Amino acid sequence: MTTEQSKAAVIPTRPLKVTINGEAQPIEDIPEELMMLDYLHEYRNLTGTRFGCGRGMCRACTVIVDKPDGSSEEVRTCITGAHYFDGKTIRTVEGHAQRDEEGHIDALSTVQQQFLEHFSFQCSYCAPGFVNAATVLVERLQRKPIARSQLEGTISEALESHICRCTGYVRYFEAVRDAVLKTPGTTKEAS
Amino acid sequence: MEADNANCWFDQNKGDMHVVCGTQSPQELVNWMPEVLSNSSFQSRRFFLHPAYTVGYGSKDATIFPYYGLIAALYADGKPVRLANDRFEQFQATMKRHPFTMKNRLAVDRETGKFQVFKQDLTANGGGRANFSNSVAFVGATAAQSIYYMPNSDLTATAIYSRMPEAGSFRGYGTLQTMSATELMVDEIAGQLNMDPIDLRLRNVFKSGMKNTQGAIPAGHLRNEEILHKARNHSIWTERETRKQAYETAHPEERYGVGFACVQKDFGHGAESAFSEVRLTPEGRIEVRNTGAEMGTGYSTGQAAVVAAWLGRAADQVRTAEMEWDDMQMYETTSPYFISQEEQNKSIKDPRWTPLLLQASSASNSAYYFSFPTLEAARIIFRHGLWPAAQEFWQRGIGGGQSAPYVVREENARWEAGHLTARGMEPLSLEFLAKRAHEMGLITGVISHAFNRWEWSRADYEINGRSENLPLDGLAVQYGIGASEAQKALMTSKRGYHLLTRKNPYIPPTQRNNAGVTYYSGCGTLVELAVHTGTGKVSVLNHHTFLECGNTLVEQLVSGQIQGGIAMGIGHALYEEMPLYEDGPGNGTWNINRYHVPRASEVAVWQQTSEILPPLSRTDPPKGIAEVVMIPIVGAIGNGIAHAIGHHFRSLPITPDKIREVL
Repeated sequence: MTTEQSKAAVIPTRPLKVTINGEAQPIEDIPEELMMLDYLHEYRNLTGTRFGCGRGMCRACTVIVDKPDGSSEEVRTCITGAHYFDGKTIRTVEGHAQRDEEGHIDALSTVQQQFLEHFSFQCSYCAPGFVNAATVLVERLQRKPIARSQLEGTISEALESHICRCTGYVRYFEAVRDAVLKTPGTTKEAS
Repeated sequence: MEADNANCWFDQNKGDMHVVCGTQSPQELVNWMPEVLSNSSFQSRRFFLHPAYTVGYGSKDATIFPYYGLIAALYADGKPVRLANDRFEQFQATMKRHPFTMKNRLAVDRETGKFQVFKQDLTANGGGRANFSNSVAFVGATAAQSIYYMPNSDLTATAIYSRMPEAGSFRGYGTLQTMSATELMVDEIAGQLNMDPIDLRLRNVFKSGMKNTQGAIPAGHLRNEEILHKARNHSIWTERETRKQAYETAHPEERYGVGFACVQKDFGHGAESAFSEVRLTPEGRIEVRNTGAEMGTGYSTGQAAVVAAWLGRAADQVRTAEMEWDDMQMYETTSPYFISQEEQNKSIKDPRWTPLLLQASSASNSAYYFSFPTLEAARIIFRHGLWPAAQEFWQRGIGGGQSAPYVVREENARWEAGHLTARGMEPLSLEFLAKRAHEMGLITGVISHAFNRWEWSRADYEINGRSENLPLDGLAVQYGIGASEAQKALMTSKRGYHLLTRKNPYIPPTQRNNAGVTYYSGCGTLVELAVHTGTGKVSVLNHHTFLECGNTLVEQLVSGQIQGGIAMGIGHALYEEMPLYEDGPGNGTWNINRYHVPRASEVAVWQQTSEILPPLSRTDPPKGIAEVVMIPIVGAIGNGIAHAIGHHFRSLPITPDKIREVL
């Protein structure tokens, strides 16, 4: 048995097909028990997604899964195996800004821009999770607008699970409120 | 959130060691890692440190972790090594806040409410390895008086070893523990004296010019009295009884309370120093390079902003945690805290000697101390570069040009919309002035070094033939591209600077070490909360904070520190607790499922407010505030709980279990 065969025998692998930030990734044999976070870091060199607690509690590792019906949801990558994402389309924090042909950032997303303008993050470790969670929220509200009076409560509910040690959350929440209000069709007058 | 980590690579062929890690104290790694290497059997020749953007709160100041990576790399057969804690390991191994046990006694005149004698005996538990334990205990004791004048005090601080995991210099540096205790004690005494707690505070508030418990007179005007008056007139305070009645009627299962606390926190280590370089390119681009580390507090943004006072706008580029300052040829010899006056007197004769080369980024020291040499450098560029360039333009033409009919002085200079003007002179852009300053060979770059021991060092420097007394102990200047051959001959340092030699140096006497503290920022917080009588759960409903911090560099960053500090303080007051010994984090089973970090719903995220006291004038210095902002909320919560349920707790956190036991 060769060394490579020996390794294969010890670590079972399967091919993984996933689309990240709009690009179909090379189909590779990936260890069956590899967490998505490690796949992003070690196989795709997408290191923006953060390892926080390793138990799915702090949400720093959150990415967005885009569903075929046009909806999106948050998924925690430190506790979700890479193969759960087989055949799926995801967005990481690296995929939000608009880029030119050479890959340079042209424009930030509305959420990112608001985070900057509000001085929302400090150490930034939790920021990728907040960017993704806020983006999922804004997109949900585009599909299903809410009354303006419900906005603060809706933001609180959507972001409650995300932990930040530095900011006290205020500037994140205020930025998300502005991001929602700057996105047409997300709120409506109360009926 | 970022756990301790180190990425190290020992290039065996070249003998180069590369270290990439997040650190608050790059200066320490630069000093000590090469020393470790030089004492090893490995043939290391060069050392490269790449300090990375990180977060600290003290946990990455003088930590041993990067050294593990360094050693691992030596034995990795030339392969790069990444060493990083997972969250369980981080709980297990990283430094914790020192747990304090305090015994306080305060004698008060019943008639006047005046404090007479304050006695404190504290013990700081440092765990298994001393990491600032002595100074954390010391600083805690110096802060124990909080905002009060204590005519007589007897403070004893002891730091101990234990089998607890290592404790370090966490945010607050011992003052969180002692001032929170004092603030809880003052409310309890007010209750015993049947006095309004804020009135009792006002009767004893520490005023400008008074001596602190170490006998030192703090810098500048203290404004805690102003904060107390603001708090006493705030609706949360004035309406607390009516709100209590209304809330408890609406929520019969809960008890409503309002609490207040006010503290003043020193900023700085007692020995502060920093290098800073400010350069102006011929195109008017401003480049800043200095020694502080960015830890998410907005340090680099603040440093960019600080030069605007002299150069008209924020810097275009800021490089932080820079550790190469060979141009200055400066050196230190021994600890600035323990050096004798005799040795200092002897050392000072060498113009390249300084009591301290570099300081870590901690102790809320960036806004004031690290900004200081940056401001001084920018000021020198203004005085010896931009201002003479502007004068030359305004004096052009017959009869002395547009400036002749007026008297135009340097103190009349104002930057308006990025243009320099003075007494009606034609506004000139920074780009124009930079170009002219370069063409004229004026000063366009400065490296400065400043040292502070509760006051700044000073020395005379000859700049362009003129002697100036400056609060710097090292200075180098760079002349513009049109410099004369004679000037060019002087710019011999690696980065092309003319190193000046100080004269008549004054270094603050070593006796100043005993001052303990002279720089303070004041902060008070009012909190509204509710205690559930069944579960013992405390809900923070609202809070309002008053902060005095001189002139803000970037107001959004200051309010961000207030908000974040308060959240951390809420955690300290209500949630964050671990057993010290066998069942504690040292057993490797702790993560944030067991150690509750406050969530947004627990900090009154939409309700909270704050106000920053307007500076006395535009000349107020910016003050360090990153620690003080987290402290008053702790005492305020304890006092609010006492208002709610009538019991004064004396240990933190105040958990539902403790409350249920009382109820």
